[in-house]
Amino acid sequence: MAAGVAAWLPFARAAAIGWMPVASAPMPTPPPDNRRKQDGLILLNVSGQKFQTWRNTLERYPDTLLGSTEREFFFHEETNEYFFDRDPDIFRHILNFYRTGKLHYPRQECISAYDEELAFFGIIPEIIGDCCYEEYKDRRRENQERIQDDEDSENQNDMVPPDMTFRETMWRAFENPHTSTMALVFYYVTGFFIAVSVMANVVETVPCGTLQNRVKQVSCGERYALAFFCLDTACVMIFTVEYLLRLMAAPSRWNFIKSVMSVIDVVAIMPYYIGLVMTDNEDVSGAFVTLRVFRVFRIFKFSRHSAGLRILGYTLKSCASELGFLLFSLTMAIIIFATVMFYAEKGSSASKFTSIPAAFWYTIVTMTTLGYGDMVPKTIVGKIVGSVCSLSGVLVIALPVPVIVSNFSRIYHQSQRADKRRAQKKTKLGRIAARKSGGTSAYLQYKSNGLLSDLIDEVTVDPSQALVCKANPMFDTHHNHLLHCLEKTTNHEFVDEQTFETSLLEVSMAKHPPHSPSLSSGSSSQGLSCCSRRNKRKSFNVPNSNMTGGHRNSIQELSTIHIRERPITNSRSSLNAKFEETVPLNCKQPYITAAVITLPTPPVTTPENDGSASSPDYSQANIVRVSAL
Amino acid sequence: MLNVLWETEGLQAVGIVVLVCASLKLLHLLGLINFSEDSVEDELELSAVRHRPEGLEQLEALTRFNRKELQILYRGFKNECPSGVVNEDTFKVIYSQFFPQGDASMYAHFLFNAFDTDKDGSVSFEDFVMGLSILLRGSVQEKLNWAFNLYDINKDGYITKEEMLDIMKAIYDMMGKCTYPLLKDDTPRQHVEIFFQKMDKNKDGVVTIDEFIDCCQNDENIMRSMQLFENVI
Repeated sequence: MAAGVAAWLPFARAAAIGWMPVASAPMPTPPPDNRRKQDGLILLNVSGQKFQTWRNTLERYPDTLLGSTEREFFFHEETNEYFFDRDPDIFRHILNFYRTGKLHYPRQECISAYDEELAFFGIIPEIIGDCCYEEYKDRRRENQERIQDDEDSENQNDMVPPDMTFRETMWRAFENPHTSTMALVFYYVTGFFIAVSVMANVVETVPCGTLQNRVKQVSCGERYALAFFCLDTACVMIFTVEYLLRLMAAPSRWNFIKSVMSVIDVVAIMPYYIGLVMTDNEDVSGAFVTLRVFRVFRIFKFSRHSAGLRILGYTLKSCASELGFLLFSLTMAIIIFATVMFYAEKGSSASKFTSIPAAFWYTIVTMTTLGYGDMVPKTIVGKIVGSVCSLSGVLVIALPVPVIVSNFSRIYHQSQRADKRRAQKKTKLGRIAARKSGGTSAYLQYKSNGLLSDLIDEVTVDPSQALVCKANPMFDTHHNHLLHCLEKTTNHEFVDEQTFETSLLEVSMAKHPPHSPSLSSGSSSQGLSCCSRRNKRKSFNVPNSNMTGGHRNSIQELSTIHIRERPITNSRSSLNAKFEETVPLNCKQPYITAAVITLPTPPVTTPENDGSASSPDYSQANIVRVSAL
Repeated sequence: MLNVLWETEGLQAVGIVVLVCASLKLLHLLGLINFSEDSVEDELELSAVRHRPEGLEQLEALTRFNRKELQILYRGFKNECPSGVVNEDTFKVIYSQFFPQGDASMYAHFLFNAFDTDKDGSVSFEDFVMGLSILLRGSVQEKLNWAFNLYDINKDGYITKEEMLDIMKAIYDMMGKCTYPLLKDDTPRQHVEIFFQKMDKNKDGVVTIDEFIDCCQNDENIMRSMQLFENVI
């Protein structure tokens, strides 16, 4: 029931007195009228902007925040008002809903902000009035599509799940050529051959000069028949192989066969095979020649390579109704004008308008403003009709075109947006990674500081650090304490991304190398704990160092120091021949692609070694960054 | 030979006439010329009806509501009808919203007539508030008088069986179809019979105001139910 009508309830009840005399039974007692408190004004303070309304207005909708006791949670005693820390501009509309019973959607507001406010105040968006409902739904749908697009493109470029079958990798390579160089090569090769094939089809028909003993021109196709045949064969072979590979790799073969691209592929290569089969039969060679027309379909294979073509196709598909309307109205107009034209020109002598279908040609040519001039009206009436025809033709064709154009533009911009987002994503990911690592490094910093403060009373805080932390110290300390609690709960510790990646690669590499897998797995698990211990060790070792640029850099430096020394010792003390074989030691860089294998060599003391257990150190020293291939 | 000539010329003439008529029609459609005297565009009917009620003091004198109650009533009234008057359609719409299952339009029509005391086709705030004053704050006599007025559709001072039947049907219509026990077609008629048996003392087939008031005052149930809605405002 609308809010305003609730105000008329007293009237309806009073009018019920009209039923009393005719009532056959006694009336029920009325509900106890809780002596309504004086209808007072309520003051709502939304981010400083004050709104006032009657209490009864708000209580019209008792299942929303403002109409129920939930608003008491926001009561602010000092100022005797209800304070909401929300957007006052959107609140205006929400309050109007209580007043008028209609919820409006302001066009200039962001749809997600509006939705959030509605959800906060407990109002379902379905009650948006008819005047604004369509706009709301459109914007919402657009937003959902955009979010969906984002998610889809994210999913596409996710980290490759490591265990994909060969078939899946192949399909992925076909669908996204950018994933691997092989796919890219394949993509370009097929593109090249499509172009070659189409060019060959075209050049085949060009007159190429005369043969001896002949007078008329022959086409190039006839002159160099063998060459063209070989070219055609090569192209068709490539296309066939490609098609079969795609068919093999498709996750759902039936769906693939039904898809448009596969149909185009088949139509493109069929003429060749049919031609092979049918060259013997003279009767159907005429049909065979016609079949060659289908070879032009190869040009549609380009749509895999060009996003623009795909967009065009998609647009035409989505504008099917407009196109249908265009066609229908054109047909109607053509028939009308052709009929009139025919009868108008019937009288004139030697008129080209021999029948109504013959007049169709004239009408079409005139309506599309082509005007070939092969058929012209001669009578006055005919000329008048012809002029009206051309004018209306312009109108009829111009009408559905803007719809198609706007559809195309919308879809095109959407795809542009997707591409832009992909490009921006790299920088975005970089920023996110920096922020994340900043967060972890902050925590790790805190940990080192905090741990220090556990053991040593004074907290040595770098002055530069102090400046940074000043921004939100309370929040950060509580947050860090929370993370620390989590660590204690799970008996695991947070490490920074690098070490994690390293250990991850160790784990994966541990699967692959055929020799001594058990040792590597053992060492890798040790490696994880070692990483954290390394941090700790590091903190002990460098108690008051200036931790500039974050924790990570210092770790980096130390690890490089570690590693730089390593190769020398390794070469000196290499006893494990296998190790030497598998690891191409590159002494220039600190990057060694090494399978983590604990060397059964005697521990070599490194200068940094504080005398702690050597074997963990050892494996730790072997944990090096691996160059990403 | 002549026939052919006539044919072509005749066709030409016909063609020209058709074309001229068609172009005239097109121009008329486009609004460049108009054949009739009145203007081409639709006359936007501005609802120029605006009504401002008399001052609070006068209304206070006329009715038995105090100032606060009048304020509340007016706010509700104006909210639903910003122009200050209710016409019959709006009235029906408002009243129907209280009875969604059935069809309240007939009863609303009768109610409208009962409220529209000056018979000008619209209920202004004064009519509204005076009617409410009788219903909520009036004496039993006045209430019964009002009810009689409601039933007496043609306002001739007599309630006939037909009038009562109309009223009864309107009331039963508000119930709608989904009732228990099922509404039969002659339930209203039976109800009217009962009513007339009770009210029509001299059995002349009509109920006069005196018969009506007498009978109601003797009926306990009715007297009690008249007091039911005292505290609505």
